[in-house]
Amino acid sequence: MSNVTRTPEVELSAGQRTSIDRLMARYCSVIDNAEYEGWPALFTEDGVYRITTRTDFDAGRDFGIWYCCNRAMLADRVTAIRGVNVYEPHVYRHVIGPTEIVAADASGASCETGFIVVRTDVDGAMTIFSAGRYVDRLVFDEGRALLRSRVVVADSARFDTLVALPL
Amino acid sequence: MTKLIDEPTVRWPAAGATRVPFGIYSDHAIYQREQQAIFRGPTWSFLCLEADIPGKGDFVTTKVGHSSVVVIRAPDGGIKSVVNKCVHKGSVLCHEARGTRKRPNLVCPYHNWVYDLNGKLTGVAFEHGIQGAGGMPGDFDKAQHSIKALRVETIRGLVFGTFSDTVPDLRTYLGPEMVSHIERTLYGKIRILGRASQVMHNNWKLYIENSRDNYHPSLLHAFFATFKINRLSAEGGTIQDAGSRHHLSFTKRFTDVGHDAYRSGIMHAMKDDVGLKDPSLIDQWMEYPDNITNAIQSIFPGFVLHQIMNALGVRQCIPLGPDRCELIWTQLGFEEDTPEQTEVRRKQNNLVGPAGLVSMEDGMIGYLVEKGIKGSEDESAVIEMGGKTAGSMPTRATETSVRGFWEYYRELMHV
Repeated sequence: MSNVTRTPEVELSAGQRTSIDRLMARYCSVIDNAEYEGWPALFTEDGVYRITTRTDFDAGRDFGIWYCCNRAMLADRVTAIRGVNVYEPHVYRHVIGPTEIVAADASGASCETGFIVVRTDVDGAMTIFSAGRYVDRLVFDEGRALLRSRVVVADSARFDTLVALPL
Repeated sequence: MTKLIDEPTVRWPAAGATRVPFGIYSDHAIYQREQQAIFRGPTWSFLCLEADIPGKGDFVTTKVGHSSVVVIRAPDGGIKSVVNKCVHKGSVLCHEARGTRKRPNLVCPYHNWVYDLNGKLTGVAFEHGIQGAGGMPGDFDKAQHSIKALRVETIRGLVFGTFSDTVPDLRTYLGPEMVSHIERTLYGKIRILGRASQVMHNNWKLYIENSRDNYHPSLLHAFFATFKINRLSAEGGTIQDAGSRHHLSFTKRFTDVGHDAYRSGIMHAMKDDVGLKDPSLIDQWMEYPDNITNAIQSIFPGFVLHQIMNALGVRQCIPLGPDRCELIWTQLGFEEDTPEQTEVRRKQNNLVGPAGLVSMEDGMIGYLVEKGIKGSEDESAVIEMGGKTAGSMPTRATETSVRGFWEYYRELMHV
């Protein structure tokens, strides 16, 4: 089940394809390398970021456990990660699948990308922390692709301990 | 001779509810006894929301302690709940989290035994065998094999159930103080906005203590202080029912300014006042005439109703084992909310839940306690903030409701 309408044949230029690939890779590396300050810059100024569950997404519920609707809110989250919230240190490792372009026009593209995030804790324990898909709306801006909206649809509604870092 | 049933090894210190023996969180025999004495005992447990099962035949599966139960909307619009376990082999009857039954019955997937919504066994496949052979013995009496039905009651869209035939009705169990606050908080037609859970690596009681501990929030949760959101005098207090079983702590904000300015609409936080780059995160409107902006209500044994500004929700704490529990968060609004109010709730929802800017530390603090007390099971926690007794207090600098929890817990558990 999916709330996304798919357009079977989508034409993108090679340059647009490359910009999408770069965005996807960069998104993983800023988080996995703990360069969180670089994370908001991957969104447009009015970019939306939301973590929700597959059950809520399929039910059409537009809340989530995490919701930012501009770069400033994303930056506030980074401040909280760095110095406000208290949690045991841990890192993520994202593994993403191929990006499926489901729609595209002159201004941007809609796409979906599957992900798995492994969490490594301070004591060395490793957990499959989350798996799911990114439901994205991208815009092309001077040769770059930026996230106008990323909805993280986690397959499980159950999160281990807490969600301090972006998925 | 082999001892078949473990007896709890925990001995409660003579000091009573001001001491909590650490072994109470890890003793397996204690954990097993809780299933009967607490969760199947004379208590009411939260099951679901009426909004989860709006239509006839709609059902959800949930848990009371370890026990899986089904909650289903009957043809007459009433709500029924039975243990989700076939009397034949013990399989669950409903293996989905939710769904809709076309017929008013429950059918085991294993051998198709059929029950009505009161738990009465109405059909056994091949009861009389096939072509005269096989079948159940002649003295098999379906009436002797019902599944346990729970008593069900609702309050403002919250559905509670109990295994007990002796516990008083829900409103009496809650007491008038708790009833009036639930009715005050859930004043509209409930709309479910989202749901997610977090698995905490600690005994369920450590979370429930945390939900009643209004000594910790300003100390453990740095978000409000860091972003200077606690900017005005905060009047607050702790209220309990007559038996000190349940807990309500509340804070009133903006009490040193005129109220009328805030009743008119959404109050926009000012960038100069707080450290947030986007202060709209804490835009709010005065939703309640009593000017309470933060309230946490913890109902024995495992239910919490919260209001953090305009973020409303319920939490259901389910034990998964002596050292693990699951906290299920459901974010709520009302059908009457305007789109602007819904957006305020959506933003403030960042404060609570598994990724909550305010609440996330509660997901791991119990685990830090579990790590700390390993090897010290014969020692005890010291719970003396605000005195040595339970009872309502005009302050939040108190652990009175933690003591109240333990007093009722000990009464039910005989420890």
